[in-house]
Amino acid sequence: MSITVTSLVKHFDNFAALKGVDLSVRPGEFLALLGPSGSGKTTLLRILAGLDFPDAGQLTIDEVDVSEQGARDRQMGFVFQHYALFKHMTVAQNVAFGLRVKPRRERPSGTEIKERVDRLLQLVQLEQLGDRYPAQLSGGQRQRVALARALAIEPRVLLLDEPFGALDAKVRKDLRRWLRGLHDEMGITSIFVSHDQEEALELADRVAVMSEGRIAQIGTPTEIYRNPANAFVCEFLGNTNRLACRIEKGGAKLGEQFFAAAVPSDAPPLAGVAYVRPEDCDIHPEPNGPGLKARVLKIHAAGPAVRVELRRLESDEIIEVHLPPGSEAPEIGRDVALTFRRVRIFPVATG
Amino acid sequence: MSPGAEKPRALRDPTTEPGWVRWLLILVAVGYLLAMLVLPTLSVFIEALAKGIDAYLKAIGDEDALSAIRLTLFVAAIAVPLNVVFGVGAAWAIAKFEFRGKSLLITLIDLPFSVSPVISGLIYVLLYSIHGWFGPTLDALGIKVVFSVSGIVLVTIFVTFPFVARELIPLMQEQGTDEEQAAISLGANGLQTFFRVTLPNVTWGLLYGVLLCNARAMGEFGAVSVVSGHIRGLTNTMPLHIEILYNEYDFVGAFAVASLLAMLALVTLALKSLLEWRYADRLAGGARH
Repeated sequence: MSITVTSLVKHFDNFAALKGVDLSVRPGEFLALLGPSGSGKTTLLRILAGLDFPDAGQLTIDEVDVSEQGARDRQMGFVFQHYALFKHMTVAQNVAFGLRVKPRRERPSGTEIKERVDRLLQLVQLEQLGDRYPAQLSGGQRQRVALARALAIEPRVLLLDEPFGALDAKVRKDLRRWLRGLHDEMGITSIFVSHDQEEALELADRVAVMSEGRIAQIGTPTEIYRNPANAFVCEFLGNTNRLACRIEKGGAKLGEQFFAAAVPSDAPPLAGVAYVRPEDCDIHPEPNGPGLKARVLKIHAAGPAVRVELRRLESDEIIEVHLPPGSEAPEIGRDVALTFRRVRIFPVATG
Repeated sequence: MSPGAEKPRALRDPTTEPGWVRWLLILVAVGYLLAMLVLPTLSVFIEALAKGIDAYLKAIGDEDALSAIRLTLFVAAIAVPLNVVFGVGAAWAIAKFEFRGKSLLITLIDLPFSVSPVISGLIYVLLYSIHGWFGPTLDALGIKVVFSVSGIVLVTIFVTFPFVARELIPLMQEQGTDEEQAAISLGANGLQTFFRVTLPNVTWGLLYGVLLCNARAMGEFGAVSVVSGHIRGLTNTMPLHIEILYNEYDFVGAFAVASLLAMLALVTLALKSLLEWRYADRLAGGARH
């Protein structure tokens, strides 16, 4: 089932949480809403769920306008950041809740409910814990109960609000992988909110990067990582170096290389920023060869890549370069030349 | 360092007081409790049985005493449920919703606490007596409020108004609305959410509020005294009857009836402790008491 959002606007008192968001969610996809705090991602998710209503704009599900529909009619499973499990009910009762509150005609029989609950608990690997109370479970277990509970109503869409935010790193990684596996097995459209880019890029089919109430860019993880559409996405995703440069004739020069910018060739010269990823840099030990001149400051050889920290000679900017593990790193204090394989150039933001 | 001295500084737990301070504080607390609570309560029973068990039973079995007991129970049976409904409703509205006038409502709920019970009784007399504001209208309808049972019920409702609400409001506010939102997202309607999610979460606070409300409803003296007219056998609650007996120097009688109220207090405390003990794990999950 597909979801379409058009020009969604939402204010909280004086704060504009969403300033006009357009989004199209494809059936069966695993979409991530990624962005810093305050970017509007949770607000958008809650509006999709019907837990909040927009001030302007439209929301359609499978071509039907649901802007007026409340949360209980939308048939969406919502997993809250802090689980929101019913503390006075057992795990099994929590999972059964959505089925027990269905109107009489739609409600399955007691035995059927029990069967479904058992199957779901098996799915989330908590079969032995049906009679425990949430207070007796670990964070990871509670999260899985929350997920089972949301899945019990066989929702059309699964919405997850920072599902792993409250868990520690190891549990987070395991649950991440497990969630993706679950999604692939069930084929259910899922949208999750995260401020952790590693998580979003690893799990999602597509990522919508949000900033200040708008979607800055939406695309597959590879697309947005390799081809960021603007400075914000560039800086937000992964490590990146910022190099001041001058844009003229439609691009800028770094060392001997010329890179194009999305600026017309006949525009007047303006200040710009060149974004280069550490892994897209090459170090040439001859300082007088073609390339950007820089001096080696530090080398960290322990880890999945050899990290070299350099200072650009003409501007004192710090540049970080990642070399494949086991590469030969230049000596500290040495002057070298840098060439780049991939650079994105944007004019400096005004105002 | 001599063996009898305190442990050397380094071995003492830095977060507890030295031994003598702890014992002194415990003694003061126990002494205060004994003097202010235990001894007076004990003395009620001692005085009640001063002339033997027969005199005790006779005092309680007296016609007027029985009618006072019936009236007290009747008043509590009406006031407490009404205030529970009101208290739960008010707490729910205040904790789960945003609306204008919320602080005003909270202040009004606290009003009966800040007003002296005698004044509360007086207010009702002013409003509902024959010469009061509503007097003529009520008289025309044949309804008698002051010096009758209805007046006593009304005044008791007023005086015990805040107990349930005050107990539930901070509890519900602390619990927030996450669980309710989860319930809605799972398809529950308003009533289902209220009865299956909201109410069970506040059971212990509610019970505590009911116990307090009940104790006050049965023991209220000042306000009821002003409104009731003290008509023996008709408009006397237990506290009022105790006063009458005491004024007539029938001490055994007075203390005998008083011992019933004292037993009520002990029973409610025991009930509360029992419930807390039995449902300890559920309590650990979230509620306060």
